[in-house]
Amino acid sequence: MLGETKPGTQCAEFDALLTDAIDGNLTGERRERFEQHRADCAACSTLFAEASSGAAWLSELEEMEAPRNLMHNILAATSEAAKAAAKAERDPSAWERLLKQTRMVFAPVLTPRFGMSMGMAFFSITLVLNMAQIKITDLTPHNLSHTFYSSQNKVMKYYENMRLVYEIESRVRDLRNATDEKQQNQQNQPNQRQEKNQTREQNQNSEPERRQLHEYTREQNVQVLALLNGKDESLGILAKQRRQI
Amino acid sequence: MLTLFTAIQSRPVEARVEEAQVVAQLVRRCASGDSVAWEEIVQRFHRRIYNICYRFAGSADDAQDLTQEVFIKVYRTVGSFDGEKASFGTWVTTVTRNLLVDHFRKTRNDRATDSMDAVMGADEDGPTLADRLAGDVESPQAHVESRERREMVHRALLQISPDLREAVILRDLQDLDYREIAQVLKVPEGTVKSRINRGRAELARLLQRTYRQAL
Ligand SMILES: [Zn+2]
Repeated sequence: MLGETKPGTQCAEFDALLTDAIDGNLTGERRERFEQHRADCAACSTLFAEASSGAAWLSELEEMEAPRNLMHNILAATSEAAKAAAKAERDPSAWERLLKQTRMVFAPVLTPRFGMSMGMAFFSITLVLNMAQIKITDLTPHNLSHTFYSSQNKVMKYYENMRLVYEIESRVRDLRNATDEKQQNQQNQPNQRQEKNQTREQNQNSEPERRQLHEYTREQNVQVLALLNGKDESLGILAKQRRQI
Repeated sequence: MLTLFTAIQSRPVEARVEEAQVVAQLVRRCASGDSVAWEEIVQRFHRRIYNICYRFAGSADDAQDLTQEVFIKVYRTVGSFDGEKASFGTWVTTVTRNLLVDHFRKTRNDRATDSMDAVMGADEDGPTLADRLAGDVESPQAHVESRERREMVHRALLQISPDLREAVILRDLQDLDYREIAQVLKVPEGTVKSRINRGRAELARLLQRTYRQAL
């Protein structure tokens, strides 16, 4: 291009002044220098023409109306975001909850003093295990599970014994309830109208009940119950009998 | 556009300061959870943000989505706004610009092809922009309708590089001053001016080429 010069300080200055020139804010000596270079430098002259043209084109673009729903949509989106944020604060994720709980559980331990204590405790345990001739390596899951099952056997045996006790207990209870009902029915049948009085009477008079209990104990062939005199005593002996079983 | 620019420039300084104070007050209320203040802020700024997004991204649908994203971001971070560093308007514009840059990085390839097709009339179906322009020139009295001309400028703007496009949008469409644009783009004022020059020039060259094709 004719008269084209290498972009130098003059071109750089021209570039710096170009926006002001297009804005119409270039006056005095600066404007003179600018116009002089525009005449001398084809590249800058072209830049001026194109930039002015581009600015003119852009001035045709009008500000757009915002879509009618935009404002509403923005408010809906932001209130949704606010709700989500509030929910996240209220209802932390499972992982956050776990972390929090872990921190709470270990908070007292996670202090230097407790760290020392823990160290000492471990040392003691190791010492005890050594004395008992148990190596730390014995405490593998396999070995532990063996210990667990042998312990479990003992527990099961104990449990079986306990079950026997409970079974006998419940059978005693059933029999007692059954005789109570029978007695009640016998008393109710003769006179329905005097039911209330009779019930009161029955509560006061423990004789029939005691008789039933005797019958029962005879059935079970337990001799201790032959010594029965009163209701309270009978219960005490019954309890004693249970302990013996 | 020019009249709007003049109107803003000619507004008394006191009025602008007063408005800045009102906005600052709204922002403080908003940061403390006042939903009425937030609505007022959205009311004041949504059109401006929508226009920046529309001119940068090109489509009305994208602009709507982006504007919503901008406001969600503003809503979440309004507490971090520092009135000492910049005006709220500049801050919101910065949030918008950063979001647009991120969006552009993600969709760079699709977008470049889209806008190229639209501007150069490479679309095989229907009359291209060049066809329409040619048609208009053939009929003696007809001028290119201003609506179509604006559409053409809009399309050309999408074609210039994002660095130049954002500078030109902020200056020529948003009427920000050079200092504000430098704040938003985080570059020196000299760089801002240089980008505006090149952006305008590139746009003019694109439009000249389109015209030449049409003729
Ligand atoms: Zn030059």
